[in-house]
Amino acid sequence: MSITAEESTSNYHHQKPPFYRDAIVVKWLFQIGALALVIFALWFLSSQARDNLTARNISTGFDFLSVDPGINLSEGIDTRPSTGGRALWVGMVNTIRLATAGIFFATLLGLIVGLARLSNNWLVKKVGAIFVETLRNIPLLVQILLYGAILANLGDLEFDSGWDNWVIWSNKGVSIPRVFIADGFYQWAVFMILGAIAARYAYNQRSKLHDETGQDTFPWLWSSGVLGVFALIGWFIHPIFSWVGSIFGAISDGISKIPEEILQIALSIAAIAIAGRWIQNFLQSRRTPGGAARLNDDDKFRIIFAGVGAAISILVIFVVWPGLTSWMINSSSDLFSVLENKFGNGRTGGPFGVDRPEVIKPGKFEKYGPSGLTMSIGFAAVFFGVVLYTAAFIAEIVRGGILAVPKGQIEAANSLGMKRSTALRTVILPQALRVMMPPLGNQYLNLTKNTSLAIAVGFSDLVQVGQTVGNQTGKNLSVFAIWMLFYLACSLTISVAVNFFNVRLKIVER
Amino acid sequence: MSSENKQETRPDMIACENVDKWFGDFQALKGVTATIAEQEVVVVLGPSGSGKSTWIRCINRLEAHQRGTIVVDGVELTNDLRNIEKIRSEVGMVFQQFNLFPHLTVLDNVTLAPKWVRKMPKADAEIKAKELLEMVGIPEQASKFPGQLSGGQQQRVAIARALAMEPKIMLFDEPTSALDPEMIKEVLDVMKDLALGGMTMMVVTHEMGFAREVADRIIFMESGEIVEVGTPEHFFTDPTEDRTKLFLSQIL
Repeated sequence: MSITAEESTSNYHHQKPPFYRDAIVVKWLFQIGALALVIFALWFLSSQARDNLTARNISTGFDFLSVDPGINLSEGIDTRPSTGGRALWVGMVNTIRLATAGIFFATLLGLIVGLARLSNNWLVKKVGAIFVETLRNIPLLVQILLYGAILANLGDLEFDSGWDNWVIWSNKGVSIPRVFIADGFYQWAVFMILGAIAARYAYNQRSKLHDETGQDTFPWLWSSGVLGVFALIGWFIHPIFSWVGSIFGAISDGISKIPEEILQIALSIAAIAIAGRWIQNFLQSRRTPGGAARLNDDDKFRIIFAGVGAAISILVIFVVWPGLTSWMINSSSDLFSVLENKFGNGRTGGPFGVDRPEVIKPGKFEKYGPSGLTMSIGFAAVFFGVVLYTAAFIAEIVRGGILAVPKGQIEAANSLGMKRSTALRTVILPQALRVMMPPLGNQYLNLTKNTSLAIAVGFSDLVQVGQTVGNQTGKNLSVFAIWMLFYLACSLTISVAVNFFNVRLKIVER
Repeated sequence: MSSENKQETRPDMIACENVDKWFGDFQALKGVTATIAEQEVVVVLGPSGSGKSTWIRCINRLEAHQRGTIVVDGVELTNDLRNIEKIRSEVGMVFQQFNLFPHLTVLDNVTLAPKWVRKMPKADAEIKAKELLEMVGIPEQASKFPGQLSGGQQQRVAIARALAMEPKIMLFDEPTSALDPEMIKEVLDVMKDLALGGMTMMVVTHEMGFAREVADRIIFMESGEIVEVGTPEHFFTDPTEDRTKLFLSQIL
């Protein structure tokens, strides 16, 4: 549009270019052409795949998720899953467990080693360097196999292996006491919520006092102290909150009485409102100081997209999935009645319980009983593998991040008389973290994906379970799809979390 | 500013005696001996690599000297960490590259050290910071980040940040060398005001106009040694040493 406007003001005779030279027409033709190409490629590949699969008698589909796969898993929340879906879920939980523990300990160890490499102490520095250079240069699979082999050399499991049934170790793994949520937990949780509010209040008060007097007022110490007091008191008198359950019961009853139509209309209004709000904000953000918003084609497309989104939502609510609203009503009503049960029915026990591990001997072979928290040799091998391997990389990221802070920053902090610890906390770390976050996120992604090497030592992670399920049911293709979706979801979650911190740490420039 | 009177009546703020400093095999300072009296403004001149910056950085222990003594406001600089922290909180420093904290606003840059080192209440520190920003002429930039300011503005924030610690001595290490010509004046003006206000100042610079106008004494260094010391009139019109004459002939 702007081209014609400019040309009409010029003295030259205006001539409309042929369509193949018109920038706007060409742009749209390319867009449509690219879209057509993508659709064709997808159609071609999928039809080819379908034909080939039928020709080779490979079946797809997800029926197996609700069928008994007839397999035993070596460890997890359920070792004899009743359906294929349940089996894969056990694998996912194992993978998430491994990845979460791995990320936590790899970060901790990496931080320590990275700081050690920056130390002025010759010995500490060299130990850090050897740690990094050794561990990051041995392939992870080799390390996992090595740790597995070493751990397999622990002694056989006996009734007196370990220490007085608190910690037991053997070549079948390590078992420690399991802490579990007991009857009184939910009543105690109410205390903890109140405690968190009080702790926040204490934190704010102490910070305010620091601002007013300049003295060290230890806000973190105070707020954790307040939380601790609440936890302790709540431990003994938590049953006084058993009446909270009846509130949830009332909410549950109330929700179940909402008519479907009202929820449908409310959801439609919400969809329209969200789309409208989004368009409004978008237009606001495109507003120039001159006043009127100048929109390019992309902007228009986005606005249309928002409108179409709202329309599709309404279509889904009323036509495509009319059961949606009743499902929402029922499930949220159920959720609250579950909460009601968690409080009521004579739940008077403590918030937590502890089960010590035990050694049982059902037949020929000794094995751990179900009561303790048992870390199998497989888990330990993969865990040490990913933690040590990733820690080596994280150590380098930490070292690089701190070295990336210009020397002048440290000199400026020193010249203002700051102590080393103050300078580290207020000047160096905030700037180093900004450099460290993106590569650190990459390492978390790598660690999560690397846990799939668990198959080498027979740990029941998602890949190992999926392979077994696939072999049993013949639905390998479907299992592949689930694997990919699961790792994609994990990676996206980590990326979102890392980006959140990146944005917060960003330095404002011109 | 009658420097002769000052030197005789005022006590020494900085006293260096036979200070030697090596970087590996290279001797950067060779027996530097000089004193700077309270409220005196001393400008250190010399060609690049003559040890001016090294010397000024030794005075608040950003570099450690290896031989000789440096006494600042009656406290000798040794490896004693308590002495170093005490001296650093009494000696303000302004760097060639500003070294502002890029992740903090201008106001936070100025209040950070008073809050954490002097334990000053936040409100008081902010009032003081705003006064100082007013003094250096940029009160309206308080909530911006250093990256959003011009070089001259950044250097003035750096001066305010150093002054917020209420130092007895201000060290300037080539404060205008990284600035565009039109921004040099705004920084020099702030420094002139400081000098007139009675601050003890030691300035490493290449700004001859500033040296001539503001300095009580000029110290000329070359190859890590003090070659000549004197008033600006003496230094610019009638220098004694040949090396000083050669330097002046090259720059004037």
